[in-house]
Amino acid sequence: MYNSPLQVGEPAVAGADFTRRRLLKSMMLVTAALALPALPPDAFAAPLSADQKTTLLRVARDIYPHDSLLDDAPYQAVIDAILVEAESSPTVADLLSKGVEDLEQRAQHIYKVNYTAISKPEEREGVLRSIELTDFFQKIKGGLLMGLYNNKALWPKFGYDGSSWETGGFIDKGFDKIDWF
Amino acid sequence: MSTKFDLNDDSVVVIVGSGAGGGTMANELAQKGVKCVVLEAGNKLTLDDIENDEWAMFSKISWLDKRFSAGGWHGAVNHPNLPAWIVKGLGGSTVHWAGVSIRFQEHEFKMRTTNGDVTGANVIDWPITLAELSPYYDKAELKMGTTGEVTGMPHLPWSADFKVLAEGARRIGYSKITAGPMSINSVERDDRPACQQIGFCMQGCKLGAKWSTLYTELPKAEATGNCEIRTNCMVLTIEHDKSGKVTGVVYADSAGTKQRQKARVVCVAGNSIESPRLLLNSASNMFPNGLANSSGQVGRNYMTHMTAGVYAVMPGEVHMNRGTAVAGIVRDEAHNDPKRGFVAGYTLEKLALGLGFLSAFLVPGPTGWGRKVSGALEKYKYMSGVWICGEDLPQEQNRIELHATEKDQYGLPAPVVYKTDHPNDTNMRNHAYQQMEKIYNSLGSTEIYNLPAYPASHNMGTNRMSEKARDGVLNKWGQSHDIKNLFVSDGSQFSSSGSPNPTLTIVALAIRQAEYLAKEMQQGNI
Repeated sequence: MYNSPLQVGEPAVAGADFTRRRLLKSMMLVTAALALPALPPDAFAAPLSADQKTTLLRVARDIYPHDSLLDDAPYQAVIDAILVEAESSPTVADLLSKGVEDLEQRAQHIYKVNYTAISKPEEREGVLRSIELTDFFQKIKGGLLMGLYNNKALWPKFGYDGSSWETGGFIDKGFDKIDWF
Repeated sequence: MSTKFDLNDDSVVVIVGSGAGGGTMANELAQKGVKCVVLEAGNKLTLDDIENDEWAMFSKISWLDKRFSAGGWHGAVNHPNLPAWIVKGLGGSTVHWAGVSIRFQEHEFKMRTTNGDVTGANVIDWPITLAELSPYYDKAELKMGTTGEVTGMPHLPWSADFKVLAEGARRIGYSKITAGPMSINSVERDDRPACQQIGFCMQGCKLGAKWSTLYTELPKAEATGNCEIRTNCMVLTIEHDKSGKVTGVVYADSAGTKQRQKARVVCVAGNSIESPRLLLNSASNMFPNGLANSSGQVGRNYMTHMTAGVYAVMPGEVHMNRGTAVAGIVRDEAHNDPKRGFVAGYTLEKLALGLGFLSAFLVPGPTGWGRKVSGALEKYKYMSGVWICGEDLPQEQNRIELHATEKDQYGLPAPVVYKTDHPNDTNMRNHAYQQMEKIYNSLGSTEIYNLPAYPASHNMGTNRMSEKARDGVLNKWGQSHDIKNLFVSDGSQFSSSGSPNPTLTIVALAIRQAEYLAKEMQQGNI
């Protein structure tokens, strides 16, 4: 062999769960969380207060607002899943508590009230725009992208049919019908 | 039938990859009695594994090994680890492709002659012409079941969504509006059923109505007894002897163990990121810059097509998800007319996205949220859209490089994929956005969303063919200028991207290459 540093018969794969981790990371990155440096994990992060949890729900509704189309339930489900994650991950718990704290400071700084008390939706969006590149924001946004738009139970509300092969596709169900022009 | 070849059998042709190039090579060679071993990095899915679910299939079939996006395109920020949207699995990206099967136009083989030197670009003519490739296009269409004159198979019926695009196109004076050619059965053919307008073509066709090597070329190759397919086998390096001829490959098998398969010939068909990466990772004392790289062009001239999306809210319901993903094509801007402010041309391809993908790509990246996005998504059933696919000029600095420190799961340097628009790309994209605005305005739509490029599914040019050895990596047969028993059989061969979707041309080139290779082997030249 003139060019191979590799010996046959040796294991070539570095880590058993490497592929899975890459996959999960890539999935997240499709929704494109920017790789900002993570905050140092705080092992003693305090659990979120009821008010802070209410703020998280408001934030979720403001990221992808569907005022009349969706009630709180699907948003709450996404927030609850992240809160469950925070119970076993000091990093996530820290991300949430510091993220909410930072958001409230910004709300106080500009509007002299807590985030949820900012009455105009476009003003809340403005505050969120100032933190949109943070890990905190992207964590919630990423959860919502899947929890709202990749949620089969909600697809009928959006007029999206989802899987069709089980019922024979659309060939006999008007795939070619259009009448408005 | 499961033929097995010995690792020390140095009479076989090793084919790296099983997509449009590798899968076609396997079957073409096997039918001619040439023994071959296909090494596929991914695993084997069957039609039972295919779901009508965008994200579920994304995680099942996508190539998600460690990669880095770089350069000036938005994906360097918004898709930092997903420069390309291609498949890791048996059948390669023919599992994911939409079926569009357009031939290159004559001038698209001669971009240098047609437009002369373009500043900042590295344009060459192909060393072959349309006339030389035409008989192989015919064979490719017969093989793939492409709707149109050669097969006699009618184009697919027009979906409501395509009728929307077609009507708008007609209103602004366009006339080259067709529902094909598509390599999707409009009638039962080649033991595969006719399309049922299910949608989800790009998540893998649940019926097998769309051509894919997964259930055509590969099983046919195996059935000859001349071809062995090994899945979950990632080729790490290609080896060579003192004379410079390649002698085989080292790969990680499904258990992660390194194996050495000897070979008489190696055909590389791992798509335009992995193929040059493999050649670069095979650098040796004799070839310090990588195999087949005396020109320095391995990994260079990376082209993705000039792409973009446009989605608009229509005055009436459309339900774009009902029917084939790409239901039709408009080709009025596919010609070369520099008076438009750019050389080369583009097509408008109707492309349906489901709610899952539309939510992620309408405004991609970390800033894609807010009332504008959610409001648009509430109007999903009123939406129609296209994918713009135009010629992308080769530029040397658009390239695949090996990362200096980051390694993949096999311990090999990860690829870094550099892509920056040429001003020609930008001008062409802006022209296409303007034309789409006119089309959608003509239908009464005023809510229009211009989407930037998706992670690239069309990847080309990184081991290009050239007349002269100094300009490229391969001769007109896809054979290395430097090493005569080393071939490249995928889209990385392309000397220019053309405007057509690449699969049909990859298949035509593979049929032609297999014919040449079998003859050369028979005559003892290789």
